[in-house]
Amino acid sequence: MAARGHVQDPNDRRLRPIYDYLDNGNNKMAIQQADKLLKKHKDLHCAKVLKAIGLQRTGKQDEAFSLAQEVATLEPTDDNSLQALTILYREMHHPELVTKLYEAAVKKVPLSEEYHSHLFMAYARVGEYKKMQQAGMALYKIVPKNPYYFWSVMSLVMQAISAQDEKLAQTMFLPLAERMVEKMVKEEKIEAEAEVQLYFMILERLGKCVEALDVVRGPLGEKLTSELRSRENKCMMMYQRLQLWPECNALSYKLLLKNPDDWQFYLSYFDSLFHLMDKSWSQPEEGEHCVEGPVQTTVTEAVKFVVDRMEEQDKKESRPLRGPYLACLELIHRLRQRGCPDEKELGDPLELMVQFFGKFGDKPCCITDLKIYLHLLPPEQRSQFKKRLGELVPLGEAGEDGFGFPGDTKALQRHLCVCQLSRALGLQHALDTEGKLRLITELKAHYHHGLQFGKSCLKTELQFSDMYCLMAAHVYVDLWTETGDENMLWQCLGVLEEGLSFSPSNAQFKLLLLLLFCRLGAFQPVVDLYSSLDAKHVQHDTIGYLLTRYAGSLGQFAAASQSCNFSLRFFHSNQKDTSEYIIQAYKYGAFEKIPEFIAFRTRLNQSLHFAQVRTERMLLDLYTEADVLEESVKAMGVCPEEDDIPWDNMRDNRDLTVLVSWDPKDRELTEEHRRLSLEEESVWLKVRSLTLRLLASLALLGHAPSPRNSDKTNENGISAKSSTLQTLLSQLDQTLETAAQITEKQTQYPFLGPPSSRLASALSSGSCHCQASALQLSLTLRELETTGLDDSTELQTQICNAFKSSVAQLQEMLSRCKGEVLEMKDGRLTTRPSLLETLVFFVETVCVVLWVASYSASVLRPLKSSLQKKKKKKKDSSSAMPVVLCGFQEWTGSLQGVVTQALDHVKGQEASLTALKLAALTLEEGYSQTQEECGFTRAAMDKVQSSYLGSLQELGDLLRKRADSLKSLKI
Amino acid sequence: MTTLRAFTCDDLFKFNNIQAVLNFLLQYGIPFYLQYLAHWPEYFIVAEAPGGELMGYIMGKAEGSVAREEWHGHVTALSVAPEFRRLGLAAKLMEMLEEISERKGGFFVDLFVRVSNQVAVNMYKQLGYSVYRTVIEYYSASNGEPDEDAYDMRKALSSDTEKKSIVPIPHPVRPEDIE
Repeated sequence: MAARGHVQDPNDRRLRPIYDYLDNGNNKMAIQQADKLLKKHKDLHCAKVLKAIGLQRTGKQDEAFSLAQEVATLEPTDDNSLQALTILYREMHHPELVTKLYEAAVKKVPLSEEYHSHLFMAYARVGEYKKMQQAGMALYKIVPKNPYYFWSVMSLVMQAISAQDEKLAQTMFLPLAERMVEKMVKEEKIEAEAEVQLYFMILERLGKCVEALDVVRGPLGEKLTSELRSRENKCMMMYQRLQLWPECNALSYKLLLKNPDDWQFYLSYFDSLFHLMDKSWSQPEEGEHCVEGPVQTTVTEAVKFVVDRMEEQDKKESRPLRGPYLACLELIHRLRQRGCPDEKELGDPLELMVQFFGKFGDKPCCITDLKIYLHLLPPEQRSQFKKRLGELVPLGEAGEDGFGFPGDTKALQRHLCVCQLSRALGLQHALDTEGKLRLITELKAHYHHGLQFGKSCLKTELQFSDMYCLMAAHVYVDLWTETGDENMLWQCLGVLEEGLSFSPSNAQFKLLLLLLFCRLGAFQPVVDLYSSLDAKHVQHDTIGYLLTRYAGSLGQFAAASQSCNFSLRFFHSNQKDTSEYIIQAYKYGAFEKIPEFIAFRTRLNQSLHFAQVRTERMLLDLYTEADVLEESVKAMGVCPEEDDIPWDNMRDNRDLTVLVSWDPKDRELTEEHRRLSLEEESVWLKVRSLTLRLLASLALLGHAPSPRNSDKTNENGISAKSSTLQTLLSQLDQTLETAAQITEKQTQYPFLGPPSSRLASALSSGSCHCQASALQLSLTLRELETTGLDDSTELQTQICNAFKSSVAQLQEMLSRCKGEVLEMKDGRLTTRPSLLETLVFFVETVCVVLWVASYSASVLRPLKSSLQKKKKKKKDSSSAMPVVLCGFQEWTGSLQGVVTQALDHVKGQEASLTALKLAALTLEEGYSQTQEECGFTRAAMDKVQSSYLGSLQELGDLLRKRADSLKSLKI
Repeated sequence: MTTLRAFTCDDLFKFNNIQAVLNFLLQYGIPFYLQYLAHWPEYFIVAEAPGGELMGYIMGKAEGSVAREEWHGHVTALSVAPEFRRLGLAAKLMEMLEEISERKGGFFVDLFVRVSNQVAVNMYKQLGYSVYRTVIEYYSASNGEPDEDAYDMRKALSSDTEKKSIVPIPHPVRPEDIE
């Protein structure tokens, strides 16, 4: 807000210092200066607003707000006040108030172009499309400039896009927008490219493709000049939608002649060709030629076209383009799909791929390119293919170990590519254990040998041979998953840690390490690894799952909270970020970008991961902080009736292929995997969000019992609350049923794909059912509260049984936690991370049961005291204590017992972990690890050990904290 | 084999498949990208491999006074992922940006590059760019590295028939002196 133009108005001069203070972040001085000014000039409203900005920025929101409202109610029309209020409202996250401000201003100054345009933008910020449409027209009437008119048109389009009812969009908003543009066309008033683009957008959305084509190809289309190939792209789009295959084919052909490397046009060229063939399309009679030029309709023509493109590249002196060679493989692939014998005319895929390797084998992208076409090789040719490629890799003489090494980085890249291809062909997977171990030795040798080429590499650069190291790690993982030999995993960690020491910025090393540590249940090292990845904004959504999936589940609650916060901070800034640029897009006429920006915002708001971190963060806060459930729930503002998760429109933005993989196709992540993973995560999220809402509901149920006389007024409220709890509980039951069905499928994802959700381990730990029955118990107690102690023997017995069964369930859960999480046996280190996960579920469940216990106490306490009063009156000391009261005392005693056992268990685990001397482990045993490698492996083992200890400590601390609440359960 | 197309917001979700530094392509904050998309969408082009991997992108803008013959295209960012280097992709993207600037009647295209980034400087020289001036401490210090000077490199477009815009300025300038 610094630039204020020329200082003419004396008020401007007076306000100047306040602006400066605010700009420099000196809010206190700004407030002082404003006060000083206000003493002299009471009516200088802007000074008040500026003071409010200062107050807002020093955390005095309420004061700032009321000061601002003082000015706002005066409906100011001076520019300074309006702009300052706009800034203030925006900072207060009340953009809707800006609209009120300018609505008042344009009423008072109806001819102000400036205020009308501010009003339009204010509406745009909050997405009031209808009002935008009107504001745009109002502006145009005052000042007939085209952009204003088209702002109004665009607002109609936005009404169409946002309309719930597609019919309304198609029959009302879009046709109206179309007519508005047509009017301008008829009057020959179209000026700018943006206006034509908007016209095209409207026609396209209306499905009027023919009309859209006419616009693009006609005189109006001549305005489409900014974007390269703008007209061609738009025509192509319409040809495809209209299935005008001759035009599509001819245009693709034309564009490929210009740029024989542009892949999208090969695809449209082949698509259209085969469509034409299927329709046995033939060239029309003279005079009716396709507007886009010659059409190709036979395989012979296509083959010749592709062969010509390749020859063109072969003859070139400069570097050849990959496009034509890959187009040749693509054509073979498509012909084969159609069972067309003509593919032979293009040559043998093996030879073609060998040639491609010859030309591009030294480029890192060679593997990405060829991987797509490996299926063209019959299985029996795979080894031969590898051999042929090997002949094209210049390696030095083999040494003692039988390995020859490349002499430069180009040769290295070629050799690496052969390794990658042979993995992608499944040749590595086909090896037996011995073969795989030898392969690892070879890869490691190449890795170490290649380090010499990167001695001068910067820290931010990769080592040329890094991918050997990564591949060795992949083979270790293969061995581990096949044989269950955990030594393979430890060595894998070692080799990756070593790789990272030479290449500290290699993201793939970090990602795989992160994944492996998580699988091992060691979250501590993961935090640093993730933060060293330096993930930026959207990446918190796309790869954040790697972190948050494991954070809470491994008992590192503090780190878990922090991890959720990373992501949450990003999601919350998204709303503000986007609306600013939607406005800019209007200003610059980038109409196509407006729906795109809104879709982007929606995509983030509906993100699965966003909903997950939101829910987990609150659950974590409850488990770790909520000594008194009611207070925490109130502070968090969780409303049990409210479900803010967009279940039907959930967007899975996770990048599930962020870890590089060269695995063969049959081991790769499939669409089905993606679907199942989303399904599983959604159900787990449902369990968690219902748990959260149930806890909130429990908290409200337990609201300090009201004095007797107001019972009646409160009755409705309370019964509504217990019915919410009932509804949520039955939803939880249903969800758990679905969950059981899903876990029965036992879906296995590729190792480098998505991790399984916590669903299966939650169910097998018994925590879900134990929590559900504890919450059910709270409802029964609520019933007792209304029935009272007399005439409720049955109910009391039922409650006592529930008390007992909850203890039994906890006992059983605890027994599932028994065992050593880390153990040294026969010189080997073995882990059982699932024990840790189960223990976390146990602790969470203890929290829930104790909250229910505390609610129980709050119900039973008044019942007991009124009973005692009665007894005193009757002086009757003979009658026995009601069953439920005895049962409760017994229950709290047993709960105390379970918690003590659990604490002993944790303590025992800590002790045996600490006693474990990893240094005593001999690592060399049978496998060829060098001294250094052993060092890295040991370091990884230490990290796991210390992380387990950390988890146990946090779990112990939490248990102790919760155990304290048992003391207050006396009734 | 590369598909060259307009950048869209959804591409932000695909910026991960990079082997070395995770956010290699994702250098800026979202507002920065959105600003360019809102103002100069035609100047924001991505290159995509057939498997859908993002190979690189170029982002630029048009600015400067027409009257003073300073109207020009500016390269704000040009990134090619390490695994897609040495394929001529950067040159292709630069060529596209130049063509867009040419159509807008720009007099030249300019860009800033770290003086230490010899690889980039040489590449731009090969593409016809020359050092117009040095900008002192244009890149502010980060990660313990000191401030660094930039070369302002230019290439004349056809509107500048006499190639006046690229006549080098002998004395270095300060960042605040450039528009």
